[in-house]
Amino acid sequence: MPRSKPNWSPLWLTCVLLGLTAVHAIDVLTVPQQVSLSANTSTQQLAISWLGGAAATFDLMILRTEFNMTVFYDTVSATVNRESGRHQWVWTSVEPLECTSLSVRIRSRDGETTSDWSHTQILQGNDLPSYEKIQVLPQDRIVPVGANTTFCCIMEEGKQFGIIKYGNTVMHETRLSRRSYAVTAVNQGLSSQSGTNVFCYDKLKSNSWGSVVFVGYPPLPSDFVCETHDLISAVCRWNGGRDTRLYGKRGTHYTLNNRKCDFSSTQKRDEWRVAQWEGNWTLVATNPLGRHVLTDSAELRHRVRPVAPESLNSAVHAWNATVQWKYDIYSSLALDCQVELSSQGYKTKRTFSGLGLRSVVLSDLEPDEDYSVQVRCGAQQNFWNWGSWSKPLSFKTNAYAPEALDVWMWINKDYTAQVIWKPLTRRQSHGLITRYEVTFWSPEENRQRTEFFLPDTSAVLINLTQIATVSGDDKVTATVIARNAAGVSQPASVHIPLRLTDVEPGPVARAVYTDSGFPLFWQRGDNAACAYVVEWYEASCKWDCPVGWIKVAAGTTNVSVESADFQPGVMYDISLYSITSEAPELLQRWQGYMQELVPSASVSLSTTQQGSDILLAWGEIPLADRRGFLLGYNVYVSSGSELTLLANLSDLGSREYTVKGLSEGSYKFTVKAYTSAGEEAGVTASITLEPYTDWLILEILASMGITAVFLVIVTFVCYKKRKWVKKAFYPDIPEPKLPGDWSRSQEPLDVKPSPHSLVHMVERPEWDSSKEVLIVIPEEEENEDGLGDEPADTDEPASLRYYNHVADERPIRPRFPDSSSSSASSLDSARTDVTYTGIQTSGSSLVFQLDPQGSSEGHQPQADLSFCRGGGGGGGGGGGGGGGGGYRPQMQSRAPSDDTDLVSPEPFFEPQAASSGGYKPQSSWHLDSPVEAGENDGLAPSLGSPTSITSTQFLLPDGEEHADERRSSSAATWFTNLLSSTKP
Amino acid sequence: MAARRTRGVTGSDLSRTTVARATAIAEQLRYECSILLELYAKKESFVVEVADGRLVSVPPPSSQLDTRDKLWRLHSALLQCRSLLESAIAREEEELGGGEKGDYETQRNMVKSSLSFLLITTGELLKAADGAAVPTPDVEGLESGGSTGLFALKRWVYRIFKEVDYWTKTAITTLQALPSVIVKERARSGRVRSVRSARR
Repeated sequence: MPRSKPNWSPLWLTCVLLGLTAVHAIDVLTVPQQVSLSANTSTQQLAISWLGGAAATFDLMILRTEFNMTVFYDTVSATVNRESGRHQWVWTSVEPLECTSLSVRIRSRDGETTSDWSHTQILQGNDLPSYEKIQVLPQDRIVPVGANTTFCCIMEEGKQFGIIKYGNTVMHETRLSRRSYAVTAVNQGLSSQSGTNVFCYDKLKSNSWGSVVFVGYPPLPSDFVCETHDLISAVCRWNGGRDTRLYGKRGTHYTLNNRKCDFSSTQKRDEWRVAQWEGNWTLVATNPLGRHVLTDSAELRHRVRPVAPESLNSAVHAWNATVQWKYDIYSSLALDCQVELSSQGYKTKRTFSGLGLRSVVLSDLEPDEDYSVQVRCGAQQNFWNWGSWSKPLSFKTNAYAPEALDVWMWINKDYTAQVIWKPLTRRQSHGLITRYEVTFWSPEENRQRTEFFLPDTSAVLINLTQIATVSGDDKVTATVIARNAAGVSQPASVHIPLRLTDVEPGPVARAVYTDSGFPLFWQRGDNAACAYVVEWYEASCKWDCPVGWIKVAAGTTNVSVESADFQPGVMYDISLYSITSEAPELLQRWQGYMQELVPSASVSLSTTQQGSDILLAWGEIPLADRRGFLLGYNVYVSSGSELTLLANLSDLGSREYTVKGLSEGSYKFTVKAYTSAGEEAGVTASITLEPYTDWLILEILASMGITAVFLVIVTFVCYKKRKWVKKAFYPDIPEPKLPGDWSRSQEPLDVKPSPHSLVHMVERPEWDSSKEVLIVIPEEEENEDGLGDEPADTDEPASLRYYNHVADERPIRPRFPDSSSSSASSLDSARTDVTYTGIQTSGSSLVFQLDPQGSSEGHQPQADLSFCRGGGGGGGGGGGGGGGGGYRPQMQSRAPSDDTDLVSPEPFFEPQAASSGGYKPQSSWHLDSPVEAGENDGLAPSLGSPTSITSTQFLLPDGEEHADERRSSSAATWFTNLLSSTKP
Repeated sequence: MAARRTRGVTGSDLSRTTVARATAIAEQLRYECSILLELYAKKESFVVEVADGRLVSVPPPSSQLDTRDKLWRLHSALLQCRSLLESAIAREEEELGGGEKGDYETQRNMVKSSLSFLLITTGELLKAADGAAVPTPDVEGLESGGSTGLFALKRWVYRIFKEVDYWTKTAITTLQALPSVIVKERARSGRVRSVRSARR
């Protein structure tokens, strides 16, 4: 407080002033006193108040008491409470205030001058030893989405901290004190209905505790509007907006005009009723995270929305019905009411108006039809909104007589006919059809006959021939009516001609389908047609065809024919008839496709080779498979996978094509028919163009035939001239004449033939079979030049040893004459005293065996001296080929090695084995070759061998010389054998 | 209890059918409890076993207990379980309800229904064994122990579910051991009656 001393000197005055100023300054910056702390744990705010003198700013320091860690230090401007004179400042803590003890100190500040710090004031936390249990703070916090919340865990006394989890996430902690740890969840997302749990575990996870935090949105309702249903009360509705994710106690609360909307647990929280209309409305939505206000204002008459009509009932007739309902509260209100009529799945709305409207008449209904109606109303003036729909009312209209039938006819080729009619739809029936009644009558004869048919009948078959025989009229009339419970339909008639003509009215035109069907045009006829009938059916159908038809009024000259039955790819015959008092008259015909498709079947293709040309021919595609108007055929030849167009044939009548000038080889041809929709898949035929094989075969056959004929002729001629042939080629051989006595003992007669014959052949006229004969024994000859083993064709005579021995009683003659006529004639003589049957060739003698017994071991051949079983096999000493064998005397012993072969029962020898026999020809004459020697059935051994009457050796033919009968055979027989041997 | 224990087991009408039915219901309840615990642990991210003590208060088990006392003890425990479960459901609805109901809520009601069925059956068994009526437990004393906060409520609810699970398993064990005991005691009581009649 300043004081003045007026009488003091200036120096003293200055000093005093300075001193007073200093004292004053000290007095202003007083130390804050009576510091008081007030904590709001829910908001985590700490209100600090103190008495602090005149200072306007203060330094404020907040520390965590236990660790003496500063959490806040700043200069603040505190407000002064006028009543209490205390300064106050509020600090908001990041952590809950209970997490740990906080120390608060304050000092006054004036510029750079500060007072001393006040006494430390401590806000005790829950981590004091007196609170032993584990704690997690804050509890049950509710925060908006995206907020950051710090949680602290105060561990149980004596336990070691473990972890803190936010939901399932382990958080990074900060130590606040000895027992307190904090974590911060940032940008928190929406929690579940029961909130997000924060867990705190000790080190051993033996104990845990936690907290729950709810993260959601503040309320945001919309579309708030109030209306009246009963002209008195109000119903206010709104849209709750997004889900706040806060429920139950934390959910949104509403107040309407400051009155709490106390919803039940099952009640929707978007509508509230007020008993009296108030005009102005305010809706406040509140939850722990915020509030939202909506308003509405309107007059009662402008917000009328009538309730749903109740107690609907109806009075029903065939064609109309009256619907009534209760609506007492709107008797003075002009209403618009909508009636929704439902039938067969279709709904129509009709609107009616009236003051206090309570009934409507629904006209134009269908008989025997099920209907369902619903009614709703709205205010006619100041229309606000339609009321709710009433509950549906169902009724069925009464039945009524059916509509008249649409009758037509179909006549088959055999003069049977069908009276057909279109079945009545449900709408046309006006009730369940019980039966159809068809009456046939002849107007001129006035006779009629009625038949009844079941409701599912739509066609009746009649025999026109039968009717025509009993009726003199040229037509019969069929009248059809339908009957239901309410009555019968108007009769519908059709005249059926009894005398049919096949006269076509003209050429069949082609009808082209359009979006509206087949457009048909015709000339107005000069007959008295009362109507026309356009009839159509599938062109491929021939019998009792499904027919469609429409009736066209007289005077009409065009119509468009459309049917749901039209199918793509099907040809339809369309006919126009005029309807008169007589039978219908065919006026015009069309054919057309609703849509042309490619043919569904292919042609049947055949190929024929014509020299170097190929003729392709194919059949016609059946009408049902054409599926369009055929425009032509494409002929392709396929080369690999590609088709090459050969020809495009637009002439449908010609179904063949000739491909000319082809070379030899295989060809594939494809023929495809086509319509305007394209060509069908086609059919492929293959053909191989061959050379003139037939001619070649014919030539071969002709040659063979000619050869055969020639041989036959030659044979025939030879047979006819066999005597001549014999004479010419096989003359008799004179017997040799033998001077002297030849009947000495049977000893070998060694003859050394000279190069010329040493034997005189004497021909005797008679042959004594018992006379001994000489047997020529080939003499072992020393081959002077060392080539005796080798076959050689030589004429050098061999040394012969004639053995006087009775060989056989039969005449012996060589079977095959040699080409040398002299030798042949000498050998063939039966009167020859010296026979040559013992003379063998190395080849033939081993091949033929006349008598198998004669060849057995130890049995000297008697009958066939020429045959020697000779030790064929090995006796020859392995001379190799047949040429290696020479003639040996029969009396000579065989080689010991032959024993095994001799006892062999084998009667025949293979040619090769024969050629290896040990007999060597006595002479030096040999077969031409070893091969020839091996042949046992040929003529080679004898043909060409030097045979003459003086010859001492012959190459005898095999086999036949052992056959008795053949010994006496003639040349004809030989020739016959020759011919027979040539046969296969 | 003293009065109850003085009464003998006479004329027992316990049937194997009733016991079998009770056992089957207990088996079903155990299965439903396991699902409920699984759903709740998943919903609340509970991973640590709650190590708190029992919520249900009944006499300790003893081999000296006869069938009737065992049934009484079981029935009493199940009655407390049901009261706890109903209390838990009510508290949950009050504090955490209001939203859409899901699988958890459905399973919770199934457990409650099955527990009621089991109680009816065990009540029949107890009645057949001439057991005394079990007084309705005092729910007030079974509240969450004064702990505040929703986390404490959740822990309490979880403990109740585990308690139901525990007593369901106990019920299965008790019921499965019941038939042979009943047969023995029936035979014994039969002999007692015959001796008494002979003495007359």
